[in-house]
Amino acid sequence: MTATSASPPNVQVPAGLAGGRARPLRTRAENLRDGWRSFRTAARLGWMTESNWTDPVLFVIYSVAKPIASVLILIFMLEVISGGNARPEFRAFVVVGSSLWSFVMGGVAGLAWSVLDDRERYRMLKYLYVSPNSLLIVLLGRGAARVGIAASGALITLLMGVLFLGVHFDVSTVDWPLLVISMALGLLAIVALGIVLAGVVMQTRQDSWSYPEAVAGGLFLVVGAIFPLSVLPMPAQVLGLINPLTWWLEGVRHALFPGSVSGVGGPGSLWLTVSGTPVPGTAALILALLGSTAVATLAAVAAYRWSEHRAKERGLFDQTTGS
Amino acid sequence: MSVAPDAPSIYVHRRTASPAAAAAWSPRHQLATNLRSILGRAYPRLIGLRREPSWLLFEILLPFLTTSAFVFVYRALQAPPEYVGFVVLGGAMTAFWLNVMWMMAAQLYWEKDQGNLDLYFTAPMSLMSILLGMAIGGLVATCLRAGVVLVIGTLLYGVVFSIDQWALLIAVFVLTLVALYGLGMVLASLFLLWGREAWHMTQALQEPVYFVSGLNFPVGRLGALGAVAIGIIPLAVGLDGMRQLAFAGSSANIGTPKPEVEALILVAMAVVFIGLARFMLRKLEWLARNEGRLTLRGN
Repeated sequence: MTATSASPPNVQVPAGLAGGRARPLRTRAENLRDGWRSFRTAARLGWMTESNWTDPVLFVIYSVAKPIASVLILIFMLEVISGGNARPEFRAFVVVGSSLWSFVMGGVAGLAWSVLDDRERYRMLKYLYVSPNSLLIVLLGRGAARVGIAASGALITLLMGVLFLGVHFDVSTVDWPLLVISMALGLLAIVALGIVLAGVVMQTRQDSWSYPEAVAGGLFLVVGAIFPLSVLPMPAQVLGLINPLTWWLEGVRHALFPGSVSGVGGPGSLWLTVSGTPVPGTAALILALLGSTAVATLAAVAAYRWSEHRAKERGLFDQTTGS
Repeated sequence: MSVAPDAPSIYVHRRTASPAAAAAWSPRHQLATNLRSILGRAYPRLIGLRREPSWLLFEILLPFLTTSAFVFVYRALQAPPEYVGFVVLGGAMTAFWLNVMWMMAAQLYWEKDQGNLDLYFTAPMSLMSILLGMAIGGLVATCLRAGVVLVIGTLLYGVVFSIDQWALLIAVFVLTLVALYGLGMVLASLFLLWGREAWHMTQALQEPVYFVSGLNFPVGRLGALGAVAIGIIPLAVGLDGMRQLAFAGSSANIGTPKPEVEALILVAMAVVFIGLARFMLRKLEWLARNEGRLTLRGN
């Protein structure tokens, strides 16, 4: 049944509604098409919200200032202790880990801040929730813009590392398939983490703005981003090995700098104790990343659905909590 | 402030000859109103801590893990033990910087977004009282966070302090806070004028400021950049002064002025920032009343 056949002939259909037909029983293809359109619109909106406050030059400076400063802090720590003679492979380790961390910050914060922005500042979350498309798709679209900005920051930081910070990079040695697989799965894991955080801030107050950064900061300790896991106590290494972000970072490092310092293996590492091999090989890396990402994604969707349901039950979508 | 029980309240309605006479408040009346404003603005932040306990995890435990990550970097590099102490002290002071940036500098802009700013401008009180109330309300959580980082970090990572001048250390710490919150008030005015840039400026003023302030390493190693930071950023000069006093005799603390000189720099910063904040806030109030643009939402 279509709405056209049931509607009285003299009803004025608002412009923008396709053919004036409301179709509650849509096919899967139509749902997918609507979802994609909603994602694109949300991503475009997210990009404009993020970028239209200033001119492009200032925006680029803003986007790269954080990751570059983070790398410089670590490089200075390295140089201060080594007396200016830090080993190049350590520099590469730190530069890759720190620049890739932009993705985590952007991905995790993007979704959570979209919830907070739309609930606390623009007061639009309840309208988004009752619109025909899934709120999760809208949030993913909004988050995609921030991931895109983070990607540019990470790329520029890596370039700066190669050009100015003494990181030796040979494009002919890059393991492209491993890089593509690691990045694809890693981004999926980051989005999963972002979905969990979006679910968390749906339940909490306005001052949750700092929560995504706090979570990312906490993970910073256990994923081997800026130092090998082998430095950590064994229980913390366990947390690292079950985390997809650890395997993502390791995969990208192996792909970009084959034979570089391993964040997972090495003397004193749990990996060496368990597997008997000094560093994980490519197959082990991909398998570990695939398995941990699959678990994280399923858990994230379940957690988000629970949170969305609870928020609906308790009327949290339009509850502003300014303090 | 104690008031005799039979003294008439300053808030009771009184007949006056003219609106001008009604507006002529005694100094006591002005002081009492401003004190009430401070308490009133601090209240939601204090009560919010009880109502939303998740901040204990997200604002205390997780930031401690971030600080720990930098401790492990130094451990991986087999750095001298005082460097671990530098990181712990830096991690504790980060809490104050974040509080100043997020809960003070960006706050007036958010108040505008929420529609409260009009009320602040029309209410008979100083805008500085509002900002001071925000600072006091936020300081409780911030001090707790800084204390946790300092105490647990010290115990867990075996930091050994070597303090000869306790009084100067405390003075430098207090002066750092005064200068930081003074800077926060100046930024609050600027961010309000800059509109939506406030959010992005808050973001952009974190890691870059940590870097130039030498959060995890001695700022003297930055050379001329470090010297500039000591001249204009309270976090840089305060942190360096505290490191020199908390790790007396460490060979890592080189290339920066003595703590006594840094204390004087902080005094100068406090005077300049608070004076500037007072001027800026009056200017803002004038703009708000004469042009009516500052209180418009959604620019």
